[in-house]
Amino acid sequence: MGFTILNSHFQSSCLQTRRFEGNPTSRLFKQDSTSTLVTGLRQAQEGKSKRGSLCKVNGLPDWPLMAVLVEQVQGVDYITVKSVTHLSDQAIKNVYSWYILFTVWGCLFFGAMKDPFYNSEYYRGDGGDGTGNWIYEKQEVMEAEAREALWREELIEEIEQKVGGLRELEEAGRKEEELVK
Amino acid sequence: MAATYLLPNPKCLSSFLTNPPSVSSIQFTQLSFLNPLDHKPHSSRRLNVCTNAKKKNPWLDPFDDGEDPNMEYGSLFADGKQEEDPRPPDNPDNPYGFLKFPAGYAVEIASLGLKVRGDVRRCCCVISGGVYENLLFFPAIQLLKDRYPGVQIDVLASERGKQTYELNKNVRWANAYDLDDYFPEPAEYTDMVGVLKSRYYDMVLSTKLAGIGHAAFLFMTTARDRVSYIYPNVNAAGAGLFLSEIFTPDSLNLSEGGFNMYHEMVDWLGRPFRSVPRQPVPPLRVSISRKLKEVVEEKYKKAGAEKGKYIVIHGIKSDSKASMQSKGDTDSLLPIEIWAEIAEAVREFKPIFVIPHEKERENVEEAVGEDASIVFITTPGQLAALINDSAGVITTNTAAVQLANAREKTSITLFCSEEKGRIFVPDAEEKKCTIISSKTGKLADIDVGAVKDAIKTFNVSLALV
Repeated sequence: MGFTILNSHFQSSCLQTRRFEGNPTSRLFKQDSTSTLVTGLRQAQEGKSKRGSLCKVNGLPDWPLMAVLVEQVQGVDYITVKSVTHLSDQAIKNVYSWYILFTVWGCLFFGAMKDPFYNSEYYRGDGGDGTGNWIYEKQEVMEAEAREALWREELIEEIEQKVGGLRELEEAGRKEEELVK
Repeated sequence: MAATYLLPNPKCLSSFLTNPPSVSSIQFTQLSFLNPLDHKPHSSRRLNVCTNAKKKNPWLDPFDDGEDPNMEYGSLFADGKQEEDPRPPDNPDNPYGFLKFPAGYAVEIASLGLKVRGDVRRCCCVISGGVYENLLFFPAIQLLKDRYPGVQIDVLASERGKQTYELNKNVRWANAYDLDDYFPEPAEYTDMVGVLKSRYYDMVLSTKLAGIGHAAFLFMTTARDRVSYIYPNVNAAGAGLFLSEIFTPDSLNLSEGGFNMYHEMVDWLGRPFRSVPRQPVPPLRVSISRKLKEVVEEKYKKAGAEKGKYIVIHGIKSDSKASMQSKGDTDSLLPIEIWAEIAEAVREFKPIFVIPHEKERENVEEAVGEDASIVFITTPGQLAALINDSAGVITTNTAAVQLANAREKTSITLFCSEEKGRIFVPDAEEKKCTIISSKTGKLADIDVGAVKDAIKTFNVSLALV
């Protein structure tokens, strides 16, 4: 008999209560008014569906748009709480967890966008691409290289001195030889 | 000093044999006689051996009874110094392609030398203090380089102290880290521990007086030899557990030892080992790069001086951090008025005033005159280059004295007391250094007349040269 999901039953229930008020045989159904409510509803729905479409599709599944808390006092139903936005416990949990996740992600993401060094000399300096993800620190490498160069310089100086000393010796030897001749 | 290094002292002999110190040499001969393995020349060689000058910490390894005298080593890596970077010759005809091996390629047996002979391939020197203290560590670095050929030496020093290593060719990396910070920033601390650990040092030397905290820091580098000074008081409690060798200084301030402030460490580093004799301590030397010389030349030419025709005056009183004092001699700066008086006596040469901060420029100009040549220098590298090109140096007890001695320049040094002079410049005459000390123990009361007389002789001697 088609999909008759009773999501928005408040309207019909309102109609139903009104109908019950006018009905003289209502006292008979007093003990289990809910059951009569349902049966009455079904009858009304059946009548409707015969006239309208066979298949009913909900626009907003699982999201009851309005919830009504009905209390019965002496056979009369009173609507005590009527809430337009109503979510189930699970849905509330989902919403809050999404909220938290978004906040955390947002703090990280938008916080990262506010980098005071972005595209600055500090990030660009030694060949970085201006973001904090790609920095080089060349200071120490340069210093180490300078010391290596210094070492080589000293070595060359030492060798030159030694070679110079040898040459002097050789020259002195030659002179002596010449003198001997 | 050198003579005492060369003598094997009897204390370490006894500890080597793990006998009580009362044991005389007679017993020692008996012992070597009883050992059939000990040949005569061998045992005489052993006489020089001094593995550990002090008693070993029994907590470190309760089953370590010292070196086994009967132990026989093979030929591989057992004796002598380590070799510098063993590398096979490049072989282009290699069937597996032209393989170029890096230095220290023999990783399979590399650890043998480290174990058997105690090689040091990578060494880290953690040096506390400023420029002066770091400068005085230079001989120790040279000693390391001589004792362990091919060793790679890295340095961890304070922000100021690190600048000194511009002058040292033997150092590979120099990192700045504030060692004297009582509570370092956790991020910096952990970062530095990680950096040191990932460099896999064989030896870590520290000249900071270690308590349990600093000892733990050194321990976390996972080096084989963790060598450090410790506090000479109760603060050292627990530090020995984390260190493999400890030195106890005479006072809380290591710098009070003057020129030989690291003598305990140097003594240990140069210790004889098997057939390697005691390594002599090299003199303090600095090397100056060409680039540095050029920069400084520009500076002093701007100040109106010529190469070899000026005298450096260093040690003007200032609250700047760049005054390069020693921590062991706090009274070592003279006010500019006295300097101006002294500088009047300098005739043949142009006095150059080195200021550690730009704010001193006005004061100097006020005291000396508008035409005074002033050079603003904060780094020891530039100061060394300036001294290198000068005719001589007049200074108080700042790093300039040691730099002048290292570059073999004539210098006149003003000290607050005679004793300080003796400590900070031993063998002054050899180093062409004239020491003038204050009679009252305060540097400000120095006899300016004496300084002027010294400058006259200085002028004469330099003019003759």
